[in-house]
Amino acid sequence: MEVTLKFILNGKPIEVKVPPHWTLLRLLREKLGLTGTKEGCGIGECGACTVLVDGIPLHSCLLLAPKIEGKSVETVEGLGGRDSLHALQKSFVDHGAVQCGFCTPGILMSAKALLDGNLHPSKEEVKEAISGHLCRCTGYQQIIEAIEAINKDVRE
Amino acid sequence: MIPPFDYIIPETLEEACNILWEAGKDVGVIAGGTDRVIGLRNGDHSPRLLIDITRIPELRKIEEQDGRILIGAAVTHSEIASSPLLKKYGRVLSDAAYEIGSPQIRNLGTIGGNIVNASPAADSLPPLMVLNAVGKIVSREGAREVPLDQLFKGPYETNLKPHEILVHIGFEKLSSVMRSSFVRLARREAMAIARMSMAVVLRIEKSTNLIEDIRISPGAVMPRPQRMSEVEELLKRKSPDEAILKTASQKVSGVMVRTSGVRSSTSYKAPVVEALFLRAMRSCLEDRG
Repeated sequence: MEVTLKFILNGKPIEVKVPPHWTLLRLLREKLGLTGTKEGCGIGECGACTVLVDGIPLHSCLLLAPKIEGKSVETVEGLGGRDSLHALQKSFVDHGAVQCGFCTPGILMSAKALLDGNLHPSKEEVKEAISGHLCRCTGYQQIIEAIEAINKDVRE
Repeated sequence: MIPPFDYIIPETLEEACNILWEAGKDVGVIAGGTDRVIGLRNGDHSPRLLIDITRIPELRKIEEQDGRILIGAAVTHSEIASSPLLKKYGRVLSDAAYEIGSPQIRNLGTIGGNIVNASPAADSLPPLMVLNAVGKIVSREGAREVPLDQLFKGPYETNLKPHEILVHIGFEKLSSVMRSSFVRLARREAMAIARMSMAVVLRIEKSTNLIEDIRISPGAVMPRPQRMSEVEELLKRKSPDEAILKTASQKVSGVMVRTSGVRSSTSYKAPVVEALFLRAMRSCLEDRG
């Protein structure tokens, strides 16, 4: 049996039919064609599948699709595109914060949630905000610098 | 891959109880799903119907009522960690909630889920034990109140019946003379499941400098969450000096070994659980001001 879900996806209202045992991750990737959100571990350990639901970072691999009825979901596709990078995406490029790129969409979403609620986060707050993400390439330093640079840009 | 099931999101507690009662077998309750979805994925359980209780208003509140704090079962760990009410009257619990998993897990996982899943390593349970928390459980048959220390049977096992729902957890507010501490040890700071933890509530009578109230509950070292009443008795009406703390810490590891048996990890865990106990006690004592 499928259920009909109405929710806001990257700012636009949508209606979609989905089997209730699908996760939000599967709905995004397999039905809505939004493959920016990645599946890493599938058990809520790595953070690669992180999206924002009503502005809050959640693991889309642990979130059953019916739970998003009436909510607002933001994915990396809503952040910016190839020709219109979000300030965070640009900063990640500028700081070499992307290597293999698999963890990047999830980290961008957690960083966005942090900056939406706190324009001037401290380094500790940046670290805390991305503590639910594994990155096996960068060693995190460039990622932290990329996020901190945004907050400096805003201040200047 | 997660096997198929139907899914209902009731808007009221009554509706949820009725559905659960009438649905009979192979029905599950889901809150945040941080444990449940992994279980579905692993094939640990395969319900034909899941009832999502996260949109029932009573289950979503933290409130103060007649000197007690009530926390709805579907309140998330993030909400507990940031609640001013809990910071003031149940700090040991909000501190523990802040240590759970990662931001994403705390944003989704609920205190009720943490309780009914009954993992021996659940971070909310030692604090709830030292707060003398009582759970309110309802079904179509009626309501009952159960002290949490009577709810747990063993690892991942509770006395909750299949048609029952945990509505909230309540405890008496910690007064300003009570000190509390939660310390936790994991393989890494974020995300990892607790290897061992310790929750303590302490009240010292100012005029006599004697321990008037002491509650101790370790996490992840015993099959089910419980208090260490033997150690508590030893400390009551004593002055909290280093000698008695040392004796008490040895009793802590003694009780752990007696309850859980000698394991290959005991030679590591015994001194570490002692150190965690001392750390928690010292944190309470320093906090005394």
